[in-house]
Amino acid sequence: MRDNVRMVLTLLIIGAICGGLLSMVNGVTAPVIEARAKAQFLEALQGFFPAVADSKVTDIGGEEFYTCYDGSGNLMGVVASVTAKGYGGPISYDLAVDKGGAIIGIRIKSHTETPGIGDVIEKDKFQGKVIGLNFADPISAGVDVDTISGATVTTSGVISSIRRVMNIVGEQFLGMEVEKTEVDLTTVADGTYTGTGRGFKSDITVEVTVSGGKITNIVVLEQDDTPNFFNMAEGQMIERIINAQNLEVDMVSGATGSSTGIIKAVFDALK
Amino acid sequence: MTTLAQEFTKGIFKENPIFRLLLGMCPTLAVTISAINGLGMGIAALFVLLGSNIVISLLRNLIPARVRIPAYILIIATFVTIVDMVLNAYTPDLHAALGIFIPLIVVNCIILGRAEAFARKHDVGRSIIDALGMGIGFALSLTILGIIRELFGAGTVFGAHILGTAFQPMAILGTPPGAFITLGVLLGLFNYLFKRLGIE
Repeated sequence: MRDNVRMVLTLLIIGAICGGLLSMVNGVTAPVIEARAKAQFLEALQGFFPAVADSKVTDIGGEEFYTCYDGSGNLMGVVASVTAKGYGGPISYDLAVDKGGAIIGIRIKSHTETPGIGDVIEKDKFQGKVIGLNFADPISAGVDVDTISGATVTTSGVISSIRRVMNIVGEQFLGMEVEKTEVDLTTVADGTYTGTGRGFKSDITVEVTVSGGKITNIVVLEQDDTPNFFNMAEGQMIERIINAQNLEVDMVSGATGSSTGIIKAVFDALK
Repeated sequence: MTTLAQEFTKGIFKENPIFRLLLGMCPTLAVTISAINGLGMGIAALFVLLGSNIVISLLRNLIPARVRIPAYILIIATFVTIVDMVLNAYTPDLHAALGIFIPLIVVNCIILGRAEAFARKHDVGRSIIDALGMGIGFALSLTILGIIRELFGAGTVFGAHILGTAFQPMAILGTPPGAFITLGVLLGLFNYLFKRLGIE
């Protein structure tokens, strides 16, 4: 019995002394390690914001957003470490947005896109089109950013991801309002609704019929856009919206202005 | 009774942990890709060995025999963790290169072996000499392996270019099979030398 007590006590004392010693050493080394990790991290952010002196990380839906501050604690912008859906798999990239909501840099970290085709996202040819875009811009494939032909899936995947990220950055960190473009049809009662949206050069007014939670008909009541272009947009956009049952549809190429107007008008009717 | 000088040199020659006893092969084969890694690992192990030998020798009459192994492991693990934290804080590159093999010094059989075979039976002075000899023997062996593998595997030693640009590196020496090949050749060489010099 005495032996057992002695064994337990010996181990207990050794353990306690070791633990105390380790916490002392840790007290010295932990700040050094932490400072270095922070310095390395700031170095990465300096690629986007050369004057960055401090940063704070926020986790939103599993993606990390780093708010960057200068030496006097003023917000400089946000670097988002996010993922887009590509052709060959996920594309992981950093997007840097300044405090005015303009994209100042994009860095592709990893991707599995086709070499020679989809990897265009790593090149200036694509990145040059993205840099300079602003939160207020549509940032929509085919509208204000052209996709790269041959790599449509990859580039439009990244572009729509940038729009999504810009909405988060703008809303959460820069205090900007995101314009709603989605309509929740389940909350819209059956009936007919009218709405107006700005087309290419005139206001477009539509009447939307909703029945059983579905858009069943769209009729244009009033517009004064260029007739040829508007007719092109009208036929196809109405069909696309009814088929998709949402407003996330492609524009009719060549008639983007009228197409946007129709979408805006339908949104206005149902919102 | 062996003299203190003999106690010191036995770890380097007669009982060299790598080339005579073939102990601690795991870090030996894994980290000796370059001279600096070998030396860094050797010094880390030397420090842990020195610390554990001193403490275990001091406590040799206080630790009950039946719990000595857990007590030794506790002490060794403490020194290993100190090394790990210090390397991480002040030599981050070396820490990153050695990676998992620093924590694994805990189970390095040389260290537990010296505690069990030497420190618990000898006074502090002799235990320090023993730890220095064994530790230096281990560090030297790792450095030799590292120098040879780095020289022929990359044409450099401690990062300095030695063999010039015309040299075609033997990439295999940088890989795990290259570690076995180098160790095998050196073992043969040292066995031959020791036999010739009459050290057995």
